[in-house]
Amino acid sequence: MPYIEILFLIPLIASCVAFFLPVSNTKAFRLIGVALSVLPLIYLLSHWHTWLGSEINLNWVPPLGIHFHLKMDGLAFLFVALTCLIVPISILAVPSFTLTHPNTFYGLVLLVQGLLIGFFLSRDLLLFTIFYESMIIPLYFMISIWGGENRKAAALQFLVYMIAGSALMVAAVLALYFSAGTFDLDVLAKSANGLEYAHWLAAAFLLAFAVKTPLFPFHAWLPDAYTQASTTGTILLSGLLSKAGIFGILRIVLELFPDVMKEWSPYLLGLAIAGVFYGGFAAWMQWDYKRLIAFSSLSHVNFILAGLFIWAQPAKTGAILQAINHGVTITALFLVAGWLEDRTGTTAISKEGGMGRFLPYLCWLTLFFVLASIALPGLNNFVGELLILFGLFKENVWVAGFLALSVILSAIYMLNFMKKVYFGPPTFFKEAWIDIGPKEWGIALPLIAIIIWLGIYPTPVFNLLGIVR
Amino acid sequence: MTTILTGVDYASLSPLLILLLGALVLLFVESFWEKTAKKVCWIIALVSFIGAAYAVWAAPASNSPLLTPWLRFDSAYHLFAYLFLGIGVATTLLAHAFFTVFEEKYPNLSHGEFYFLIVSAVVGLILIGQSNDFLTLFLGLETLSIALYILCGYVKQWEVSHESSMKYFLMGSLGAAFLLYGIALVYGGVGTTSFTDLLQKYQAIPHDAHSNLFLGGLALITVGLAFKAAVVPFHVWAPDVYDGAPNPVTAFMSVGTKAGAFAAFAVIFLLALPQFHTLWNEAISVLAILTLVYANYVALRQTQLRRFFAYSGISHAGYLLIPLAAGTQDAFPALYYYLVVYGFATLGCFAVLTYLDQTSEGVLLSDLKGLFRRNPIVAGFFALCLLTLAGIPPTAGFLAKFYVLKTGFDAGYYTLVIVALLVTILSAYYYLRIVSIMLADVPEESRSVPLSWPGLVLSILCFAGIVYLSVYPAPLMALLNHTLGGINGSTVNTTQIGSA
Repeated sequence: MPYIEILFLIPLIASCVAFFLPVSNTKAFRLIGVALSVLPLIYLLSHWHTWLGSEINLNWVPPLGIHFHLKMDGLAFLFVALTCLIVPISILAVPSFTLTHPNTFYGLVLLVQGLLIGFFLSRDLLLFTIFYESMIIPLYFMISIWGGENRKAAALQFLVYMIAGSALMVAAVLALYFSAGTFDLDVLAKSANGLEYAHWLAAAFLLAFAVKTPLFPFHAWLPDAYTQASTTGTILLSGLLSKAGIFGILRIVLELFPDVMKEWSPYLLGLAIAGVFYGGFAAWMQWDYKRLIAFSSLSHVNFILAGLFIWAQPAKTGAILQAINHGVTITALFLVAGWLEDRTGTTAISKEGGMGRFLPYLCWLTLFFVLASIALPGLNNFVGELLILFGLFKENVWVAGFLALSVILSAIYMLNFMKKVYFGPPTFFKEAWIDIGPKEWGIALPLIAIIIWLGIYPTPVFNLLGIVR
Repeated sequence: MTTILTGVDYASLSPLLILLLGALVLLFVESFWEKTAKKVCWIIALVSFIGAAYAVWAAPASNSPLLTPWLRFDSAYHLFAYLFLGIGVATTLLAHAFFTVFEEKYPNLSHGEFYFLIVSAVVGLILIGQSNDFLTLFLGLETLSIALYILCGYVKQWEVSHESSMKYFLMGSLGAAFLLYGIALVYGGVGTTSFTDLLQKYQAIPHDAHSNLFLGGLALITVGLAFKAAVVPFHVWAPDVYDGAPNPVTAFMSVGTKAGAFAAFAVIFLLALPQFHTLWNEAISVLAILTLVYANYVALRQTQLRRFFAYSGISHAGYLLIPLAAGTQDAFPALYYYLVVYGFATLGCFAVLTYLDQTSEGVLLSDLKGLFRRNPIVAGFFALCLLTLAGIPPTAGFLAKFYVLKTGFDAGYYTLVIVALLVTILSAYYYLRIVSIMLADVPEESRSVPLSWPGLVLSILCFAGIVYLSVYPAPLMALLNHTLGGINGSTVNTTQIGSA
């Protein structure tokens, strides 16, 4: 059986290496950064069939009862694999010559990777909390140092939202500890549900995860943070941080407080559906394609949350699958949006039109990802959304029908974006517009492969989840 | 009854004696060889601190009836002595950095006196931690305070320092008066000032009148100590005083004085009078809420960093009050652990401030603009210290805060815990605003700053301390729990431990 602690330590050690590596050649540094970030993926895949059940449990801080308890199960495997895949791509998304302070940049990205892996694996509630909150800081620096004009304000706003969201979580963690005398999630899963103040605890946890995902109406930080961050930062935020929130709801709220969640299901579902439509309409109204994709991400993430809140097994499975799908698709969308931004130097939709004529390959690649995002049958999102709608359909036909309209909405705003940017009447050609080459194709290829694979044959994911159950 | 101290007794006092000897040597060198003094004084101070620390470790406990009524030789004393000597070492290193920067501007500053006063202040601190009687405690506090009154106005050329030291002197005296009056009332209530059997004597008080006298005395003592610890609403002196004092002195006040005042709190209310009256715990929890809310709110608006750290220090005093209010088994270890983490982080910040500081006005927030571009290592270290102070995981600050909150939750002070958690939102904002300013792009002309390697050593020590406590806090926590965890509730003198 492979060593789970090595999987956790690789990115952290790599991060220290990156922080202090004396390399002045930014191009070489990027290669090193990517190589370091790929290591966990290689390790993960080299033992892919023996990971489940791998575990480490150390008595980390005995006086406080904190255990360093990491364990791999099917759910954790999916999210860890997603993390290992997305991080190298996010590093490749930014051209190396624009990067100031490469040491800090690669160090922070790898730090985020390590903390995320630790977060997805932890089975000790306090360890979970520590990882959950600590990933905010490197992300804060990522937004704050590299990105657009107003990144400082966006980063600080992001940070305050995150900390405000999870401040009360610590009180809930303490309450759980004193109720059961341990931070062990397996023990807590048995005892927490029956507590008389379980509602308050569930609310505190839910708030923390809702802000991070974000569930409507806790999304106010999202547009600025997503658009001001560099492409790498945006991918980490949209592809992975939102998954941390979803994973938290799956791991803590649903496992520890099922009764409370069942009771609140209609209200939460209402919020999530409102979020789906709010995000969709807001995306429609945008004149900046990075903002448009940001709001589309909000809409899709709320769709996933709706799947979790429906309280039906197919919907939950669909939501988990959709979380992985969304991680892949949104990464792809921000990746191609970033490439377009590098070429045109703007993210405004109105400035340049008809790019399809000058950048045909980028155009077709974008179209492919857009189609995946609007759930074209045969591509990954279709399966997930269908499962969620199927689950909801059994509960309430009318609500399911209403939610299905959002699929149309997403097609409208996404194709509208395609039409305006790529297929409109062409403007004058500029020298800097060089179409994507083999390098970019190489970066996009794994994403394309996964989108098609999960669209045609999602069974491996269900198998993994089947072992969970 | 013997009236003569034996060799063992002298040996048991050796930490204090070594420090006093060091202090005398410092004065001597300063008076006769002023030129040499600038080179060697900090070394003498450093050697006496380290020697004293060794003596604390090696010295036997005395059981002479001439000493034990006044001084304790238990594990709490040992731990406090290490903490205070560590703060002394840090202040010495900072002071060297400070003198390096200001040597050209003020060549007349005498070094020997400065270190003499620092050593004396540490003697006062150790006396507080070792006291077994209200009188020794008071003696320690006054030794500390008088040294600090002078240190505050040490750079006589700074206008702002005059006001600072005068204010500190007046407010400090007021606090001392409260304390002394409270001690008198306690004596009136139970007929003793000794900690040894204070609890039994209190519980044996027959009349209500005497009990009221005793409780009134303790209330006044609390107020007096709250002045020293700068707890809201007795904090008003702190910002002005911190602002006007030279950096190393501000650092010493924010860490040393705070630790001293809380050591006094712990010695009286956790060791001598554990859980003597719930009213006191309630009152402390109210003070804690006031302190947390007010200090965190006002800190949002500070632009001068020494002032900023005054408010930050006040807000941390609020967190330190939580274990006092709780008074559970865990309270003492939690308090001590918090002090250690707070000490590392604050001293690290002051190492950076001393490095950047050029004038009497201190470092302004705007001076930090672009620090990350000019000097990423200093900026990174400063950011780490600030994150620790903000209590954001995975830094040691989070576990320290968590430990403190755990004691509060355990004792049932839910409102206090929730308030303490909510104000972390404010504190995260103002600590990280500094980080945000450091990351700003504005390129500033690079100034050549004379680097003092003792300052560098201090930074490295703080960095190592924070990283170590973040990654592997178990040994220190286990040690604290082992030595201090059960102490609460047992009478003071029964837990005599020789060397730690």
